[in-house]
Amino acid sequence: MDEKKILIIDDDQHLLLGLTARLKAKGYRVICAADGVSAIAVARKEVPHLVILDLGLPAGGGFCVLERMRDLADLVAIPVIVLSARDPADNEKRALDAGAVAFFQKPPDNHEFLSAIRHALGETVALSTFLKT
Amino acid sequence: MTSEAPRRVDAGQYLPPATPLLSHRDSGLLHESGNTEVSATLRTELLDFDAWSEILTMYGRTLRVAVALTDSQGQVLGKCHNAQPVWRLVRDAARGWSSGCPFCITTCVPCTAVAEALRTGGVVMMRDRAGLAHVTVPLLLGEQRFGAIIAGQVFDRYPEPLSLRRVAKDFGVSAQRLWELAREQRPVSNTILRASGDLLFALGHAFLRQRYGAILEAKLAETNGRFRLLVEGVRDYALFTMDSTGRVTSWNGGAERLLGYVAAEIMGQNFSYIFTRDDIQNRVPEKQLHKALEVGRAEDEGWRVRGNRKQFWANVNITALEDAGLARGFAVIVQDVTEQRKIATVLEEARQERECLQEKLLSHVSHELRTPLTAIYLFTTNLLDGVFGDLTPDQHEHLRFALDNVKQLKSMVSDLLDITRVDTHKLTVEPQHLSLTKLIDDVLSTCLTNATVKNISLRSHVAPGLPFIWADPARVRQILINLIDNGIKFAPASGTVTVQTRTSAEDEGFLCLSVSDTGCGISPENREIIFDRLSQVKSTAEASRSGLGLGLFISKELVSRHGGRIWVESELEHGSTFYFTLPVFSLAKLCAHVFTAPNLEAGCVTLIAVDVAAVEVVVQADILLETRKVLERCIRPGQDVLLPSMSDAEPVETFFIVAGTDAKGFEVIASRIVRELQNFDSASRLKPVISSMTLLVAPGQSGEVQISEVAARVEQLVQAHLLGKENSNG
Repeated sequence: MDEKKILIIDDDQHLLLGLTARLKAKGYRVICAADGVSAIAVARKEVPHLVILDLGLPAGGGFCVLERMRDLADLVAIPVIVLSARDPADNEKRALDAGAVAFFQKPPDNHEFLSAIRHALGETVALSTFLKT
Repeated sequence: MTSEAPRRVDAGQYLPPATPLLSHRDSGLLHESGNTEVSATLRTELLDFDAWSEILTMYGRTLRVAVALTDSQGQVLGKCHNAQPVWRLVRDAARGWSSGCPFCITTCVPCTAVAEALRTGGVVMMRDRAGLAHVTVPLLLGEQRFGAIIAGQVFDRYPEPLSLRRVAKDFGVSAQRLWELAREQRPVSNTILRASGDLLFALGHAFLRQRYGAILEAKLAETNGRFRLLVEGVRDYALFTMDSTGRVTSWNGGAERLLGYVAAEIMGQNFSYIFTRDDIQNRVPEKQLHKALEVGRAEDEGWRVRGNRKQFWANVNITALEDAGLARGFAVIVQDVTEQRKIATVLEEARQERECLQEKLLSHVSHELRTPLTAIYLFTTNLLDGVFGDLTPDQHEHLRFALDNVKQLKSMVSDLLDITRVDTHKLTVEPQHLSLTKLIDDVLSTCLTNATVKNISLRSHVAPGLPFIWADPARVRQILINLIDNGIKFAPASGTVTVQTRTSAEDEGFLCLSVSDTGCGISPENREIIFDRLSQVKSTAEASRSGLGLGLFISKELVSRHGGRIWVESELEHGSTFYFTLPVFSLAKLCAHVFTAPNLEAGCVTLIAVDVAAVEVVVQADILLETRKVLERCIRPGQDVLLPSMSDAEPVETFFIVAGTDAKGFEVIASRIVRELQNFDSASRLKPVISSMTLLVAPGQSGEVQISEVAARVEQLVQAHLLGKENSNG
């Protein structure tokens, strides 16, 4: 089976570096983008299986990227996990309403975060891991 | 003559034909003067001799008598003598007296006639030894005795005061002869005396009245004038009066200035002129008058309109004016407080701005801290988890320490944000139906790493069969983790931290959770302050770098947001136990608006169970979440209740609805659910289908039914349904 492609969109180079290492170690293929505009271009070219998206981005914030992705037929079906330092109280619902499948505040718990990634990629995972209630 | 005994010849007394009665106006003045006692100033003014002299002189000249005015003590205030009584001169010369009755030759001082007249209120007629007569007329108004007028028969040949010697010389006689001459004077008859007394009485009282009236007028005019000046002079307030229908009856200068209508144009108009159009449409003017009539006063702040249609923010005070219990109208004070309001608004805006800024700053700081923290976290965990190969035990241990510190930083950043929320009243909890058993297990596994490092054992004693609670799971987790971490921090190595739950005996309807440690304990004085913000007990501070000291403060805030309380019991060297309470889930409370007496009596309580299955084998949790949303749309808000997940196990594919309706209404809701679920549109291919929809009718007993009984019955039905499903599945 092909390895799954994950696109990380974040303007923090260190985060990209650290998260890429972690995901590569888990056997995923990782591509990165550091701003909103190139993110869409990369996504259209690569068509990843999953997008990990920061909210505070140069050249169009994370919400713009989310909306654009929902407008583009080739990107509409790609699950998006939002990973942001912003307050979930203000942003979690907005992100989920905009079509994200999960919201994580930085820094995320590795275990929960990886479970959510696996779930979003449709890999088997215990239901209870991501059930919040 | 000095040897002669004082003698008085009483010529009789009588009451005058017209006893003066108090008119309304008189009583007003008397009342104003203190009801029973007329003030000394008023007495002096009333009996001002200058005012009286004209009328008294006229009387005296006409009747050829001397007239004197005395006060109520008999002291002479003034005399008009077209003739001087001889006997008075005789006496004065002999004794050197200057006061007393000006006419009487008796030695009574003050004249008893005045006292007598004032006592009886009648006219006193007297004759002296010479047979000369005088009448004394009291001056009365109601109960008030002001003084008297004495008119005396005199030798009329000498209109000017003369010395006795001169008189005698003029007569060409000795003093003895003078006396005899006096005796020869024809005494006036009693009839004449009486007639002159009547005249004097009438005259005196007419003048007294007139004078009284004049003073009253003058006083009223003065008071009115002063009041008018005062009212007119008030510039910063609009003062005006209205009749009972709200028509303006007076309008001061302040009102002209502030409200922009001159008195001439607004007088007689309804005061609603000063209200905004909306207020008039909402009948605010009438409402305010009504309120003022009911409670005596109506105060209001709001927009009012000037004559030039400009609005200002007014403080309006309407007072109902009453006279003898009858509404007479209203007095209104209007003040322009636009400036004050502006200042208050500016201050409030500044406060909000400051709060907003503070929140922004903290959320910005928190955001900025989180980004580098995430990088550190990722690199540390990557190394620890062997992403870049195996580590030596030392490297592993040191990275572990780094990670612990990152986690501590992370929780501090979260605390900082929570504190901002407390300050801006945004710390909210979203309670839900919650089982503690699972949550505590979950929390303990999270805290296990920390505990293991310090070789501390975590224990939990959760009583079986605990009721569900009504709380925010994330917040309960936060409180528990904070308390357990504190316990781990303060317990000595190989100590114990225990979590316990029990029903609360003192707090009915609450569960009590406790976290106890075997640490150093907390001294009594510190027990009071540990829940305060930024409190960190000094002596224990070195036990660990223990964060910002915000944990317990936030826990306290969170517990109180749930309606519970938090406290600590501790003994030094024997550890501490923190207790907090959380509300038990109550079906009765949640469904209170369904379990009403009319609904219960009509049998209108229906429990609907909706079992959902998916097209594919496994029902995914997010599908269930979406199904819940669909069902929420199918019930009538405010009338039906979609119960929270009523089972400990998950995922639960059964939803329960408590509806305030009967079997017929059930059909309606059921068909709506079927329709909505058919239209179910999900990103995934999965689709829920209704495997069964059961009507579990709640007890439709008539008569007195306890709501708690109904709630218990509904809960039984729910559990029975879940159990039945489990069995059929099994």
